[in-house]
Amino acid sequence: MSGVLIHLPQEPALTVRLGAGEVARFGRGSDTMPVELRLDDPAVSRLAGEIRVSDDHWLLSNHSTTQSYLVENPEGAGEYLRVPPRRVGAPIPFEFARVVLPTRGSGVSFQVFAPDHVYLDPGGPDGLPRGTQTLTAYSLDETATYFLVLVALCEPRLRDESALAVPTTPEVVERLRSHPQCAQLTARAVSAHIDYLAEEKLRINPPADREPGRGARRNGKREALVGIALRFGLVGEGHLRLLPTRTTAAAGAVRTGTGRR
Amino acid sequence: MSGAAEPLSGATERIPRGYRVGAWEVGEPIADGGWGWVYEGRSAGGTDGDAVVALKFLPTAGLAPRQARGLVESARRESEFGRRTRHPRLIRLLDSVVLDEPDRPELDGAVVLVMERAERSLRQLLETEGLLEDGEGVRILTEICEGLAYLHGQGWVHGDLKPDNVLLMADGSIRLSDFGLSAELDGTHGTHAWIPPLGTPDYLPPERWRAPLGERGVQVRPSADVWALGIMIHQVFTGGASPFPGATAAGRGAAVQEFAAGRAPLRLDSAVPPFWRGLATDCLAPTHDARAAHTAQDLLARIGAAAGGDGDATTGEGTAPAAGARRRGRRLVVGAAAATALGAATGAAWWYAVGGDDAGRGKGDTAVHAENISGTSAPPAAHVTVFNVEKLCRDQKAERDQQCSLGLAIDPLAAYTVDNVVPTRVWHGDVLPAECRMSQGLPVTDEVGTRSTEWYRVRLPGDATPSKAWLPAVRTKDRPTVSECA
Repeated sequence: MSGVLIHLPQEPALTVRLGAGEVARFGRGSDTMPVELRLDDPAVSRLAGEIRVSDDHWLLSNHSTTQSYLVENPEGAGEYLRVPPRRVGAPIPFEFARVVLPTRGSGVSFQVFAPDHVYLDPGGPDGLPRGTQTLTAYSLDETATYFLVLVALCEPRLRDESALAVPTTPEVVERLRSHPQCAQLTARAVSAHIDYLAEEKLRINPPADREPGRGARRNGKREALVGIALRFGLVGEGHLRLLPTRTTAAAGAVRTGTGRR
Repeated sequence: MSGAAEPLSGATERIPRGYRVGAWEVGEPIADGGWGWVYEGRSAGGTDGDAVVALKFLPTAGLAPRQARGLVESARRESEFGRRTRHPRLIRLLDSVVLDEPDRPELDGAVVLVMERAERSLRQLLETEGLLEDGEGVRILTEICEGLAYLHGQGWVHGDLKPDNVLLMADGSIRLSDFGLSAELDGTHGTHAWIPPLGTPDYLPPERWRAPLGERGVQVRPSADVWALGIMIHQVFTGGASPFPGATAAGRGAAVQEFAAGRAPLRLDSAVPPFWRGLATDCLAPTHDARAAHTAQDLLARIGAAAGGDGDATTGEGTAPAAGARRRGRRLVVGAAAATALGAATGAAWWYAVGGDDAGRGKGDTAVHAENISGTSAPPAAHVTVFNVEKLCRDQKAERDQQCSLGLAIDPLAAYTVDNVVPTRVWHGDVLPAECRMSQGLPVTDEVGTRSTEWYRVRLPGDATPSKAWLPAVRTKDRPTVSECA
């Protein structure tokens, strides 16, 4: 349980971490109305609302008397919630959410991540009560884009194409391109998913000073992710079906990539 | 894994009755978990035809090779553990068999652990009986602690301690079981072990929720088992309820985080008897460091000392002759617990008031009084030196850690709530001028079960406001000859 992460896409970007039971207020703010998350837009109230962490999710309160806020699930194919004016403590069920406040222009928005969502382990009895079962302490949403990225990273080793190679970020983008969920996927987004997996979901110890010569930190992180996901069975052969079928060209590209190392 | 109480609708077909495993014949299914199945086994036509065992099947078929490897690893841990340890509080591993069934792919390669047959798990007991009789709960917890103290003494961590893995034998005695996540402490440092990233959310200590995952898994230390013991102490006296509120395990996990971050107090159910309340509070100390002070061995010693003393403090029976009196006592305890947490003295050093009526007063007071009755004329400069029963706090008194601070009351006759505590805290070794004593204040019991109704009015150092407060006599070894307060 590490709470939620709030990311304000401004310059410089601001990331706020809230633990269980903690609250952050958002709005334009003022000397008499301090807020933790400042949204600098004249159309936003001084105190526009607040976010409170509860269990493994979060609650959104709308302090505006006139405006509804939208909470979008960027991975949910247009799935969203409308939080009406004066609503207190609306529970938000998305692991990834973008909160949009209406303004004259395109709206002010910020992102909220809730990495604590719990899933039962796969492979248990279907539809039977599970009692106090021993679970993998790191649960992953197998329908999320980050999981596709993880499977794509593990693919060469799962197919025994190479015991060593881990695809590069551009290779992952290429591999997932034909997946309906990933048509817009950029290299930057893949890097963000890798960071999210490593830091928030699996909380991987970076292989600190193992190979000081090889500077590429993200490379080390990618390899550590794959090693751990396979070692502890978080990704298995069965997950390969989540990936789009490989065209000959794509398969070739992966092999070329492997060969380059 | 070996204690699930659910009907086994999906599991019964897996292994046919009468199937032979080594010298054993498969009988009734006992339990079904995500990772394996447990069946009863009977000796197949041997001389000891009545012998009954539990057969734990860890199938590897139908799994990806790496997952299968993980299971074999788990089975290896368990049988390795079974071979190297033997103790009356640990379930005995009798044998392990690898099935060779090329014609039955679903069973081929499965590992079968042959173990003592238990009657049921503590979880099943709590589910069917609800509240246990005081004596039974105390005996079960004592035996769990015996097993844990042995385990830790041998340099092992259980890693998945919970009521499902505490088994009751036909004679009612306790065996710890399911050592699939047990690991031996690291050889070079001996402080921690590594286990796969698995656990049961309701029993994970706060630090585990944020523990990093490395190539060897996650780090566990014996203090993780001690935390789980704290949860179980609460469950045993409350019919299975966790001390942390929440409808789901995730909700309770969030409550654990709030408690560990100091944003919520520990609220133990008033049904937990005072002695066990103190023990559970120490087991549930919010950090590894604070919890490490309470080893299973120390906890067991405290249980032994309390059980051997006047009127068995472990059951609370010595102090509660009538149900009515006991209920009153419990209400007071709730206030005290909340006050302590709010007073920033969460964890190791806190004390609580019990009883409130004459019947509830223990024998401990009389001895204390006897020493004081002789001194009626008070010398002008009497002092009391603060004593903390927690050894760690005595050893580290110079650090004046907030967790080792002790509180002083404003009114020794009122319930010890947050409103009845002065802002000034004191630590072990502090010397306070004592003005007078009150022999019949609210009774106070310390962490090791010493009780007294006596209080000293002390002057606080510097220009503290208020300048005077009340120290319970259990918080000092001194018995100054001061007169009764007017």
